[in-house]
Amino acid sequence: MVDLFALALTHGLLALAAWRLVQRADLDRDPGGEDEDRPRFRKPAPRD
Amino acid sequence: MTDYGLFLFVMGLLALGFRRPFLWVLAYCYVDIVAPQQVSWHLLASIPLSLIVFAAAFGGWLLVDDKQGSRFTYRQALLCLLLVYCGYTTLVADFPEEAATKWSWVWKALVFAIFLPLTLRTRLRIEAVTLVMVLSAAAIIISGGIKTALGGGGYGSLALLVDNNTGLYEGSTLAMVAVAIIPLIVWLARHGTIFPKHWTVTLFALALAFACLMIPVGTEARTGLLCLGVLAVLALRTARRRFLYVMLGALALLAAIPFLPKSYTDRMNTIESHQSDESASTRLAVWAWTWDYVGEHPLGGGFDAYRGNKIRYQRKVTEVSGSAAEIESSYVEDAGRAYHSGYFEMLGEQGWPGLILWLWLQASGLWQMERIRWRWKHRTGPGEQWQAPLANALQLAHVIYLVGALFIGIAYQPFILMLIGVQCGLWSYLKRIDAPAPDRRIDRARRPAMVAAAPERAAEA
Repeated sequence: MVDLFALALTHGLLALAAWRLVQRADLDRDPGGEDEDRPRFRKPAPRD
Repeated sequence: MTDYGLFLFVMGLLALGFRRPFLWVLAYCYVDIVAPQQVSWHLLASIPLSLIVFAAAFGGWLLVDDKQGSRFTYRQALLCLLLVYCGYTTLVADFPEEAATKWSWVWKALVFAIFLPLTLRTRLRIEAVTLVMVLSAAAIIISGGIKTALGGGGYGSLALLVDNNTGLYEGSTLAMVAVAIIPLIVWLARHGTIFPKHWTVTLFALALAFACLMIPVGTEARTGLLCLGVLAVLALRTARRRFLYVMLGALALLAAIPFLPKSYTDRMNTIESHQSDESASTRLAVWAWTWDYVGEHPLGGGFDAYRGNKIRYQRKVTEVSGSAAEIESSYVEDAGRAYHSGYFEMLGEQGWPGLILWLWLQASGLWQMERIRWRWKHRTGPGEQWQAPLANALQLAHVIYLVGALFIGIAYQPFILMLIGVQCGLWSYLKRIDAPAPDRRIDRARRPAMVAAAPERAAEA
């Protein structure tokens, strides 16, 4: 039962992550192109 | 039900790879860590899953993926040298059959660590592979953590998803990895974009970190406790409110002690009284044997060379009768004992050349992550906040591994080799995006040619 819960939870999250990844263009190319000086992202990374 | 679920999951992941071949690389990481073909005995166990995903990952990269931005770093060259050297020692091994068995998984782990950085061309890919590594390990850790919390732990008796002591399913190794990924969990919760900052993400990260803390307790692995201690001290370096952190840590520790099972505290007490502990005495005897062995065989004896050892060690047992304690010492003889240390494993199996290469690989990782940390930690621009914390997390995980490897034979742990692959990928990615603008670079590259061409032109004139 515990094993099943752990497997279902982590695999569910892995599947969701994979689904989100295939829809993101920045998986294969950083926004702004490869030749940019600095990385620029669609969403700025959250500040600490 | 589990069989069908895992089968559908793996097939789904492979199918998504047709849209984005990088997902096959992630699928390999997942298969290598979780080994779903061992969890499921029917559908997945009947196909050579590991081979299929590796072929898909490599083929996808070779045929479809854009190579722009892929760089070969010198640490990958070190891995190549180590691979070739291990291949050589396997050919001349003391125990050819056993050496061939170990070689059959070591070479795959090394080849993947060399290959992985070539695919990590974007920030999102670096994050994705970190997330998949953490979530895959979490599948084992969450189940182990809950079982421990429910009182199901014990040295060598915590029932994990697979009962075969390979890979992360070995108790001490899992304890080390569980502690090592805590910094990565924190990084993903703070800087992740696949699962962006949200209270549910924070809650999951906290629960997972707690499950990670449970693993050294559940497996009763003493190395796990040592790793935890080292992590607690190292985390002080980046903690903002150090005093508060130390106070809270001490309080949590005091609060946790009454809840620890007696078998756990008993076992941890043997860290002090190691003379009466067979496991510790065996280690010292095996290490002494390895030191002598490598004196005669400086190039190493190939994988599993420890099988040739015959050791004799003193064991002291204290017997308490009433108020008097009597110490009895006896000699124990043993043969074919494993190294119980990554460093001695490397020394005995690959000799001095192998150990030097391996140590160089480890030290250069710590150094590169430190350099990234220093270079990026004061930057404040958008998209410049995640680099230093990730380098810090990868460095902490690496230190935890190096501490764990003192007492566990995990010199070629595939999870850690993957982590080294991520380090190489991050290093090469940041070096590339932080380089001067290409037009300036071209100018610099052309300038010597132009200078060299100038006298010729003058001569022509």
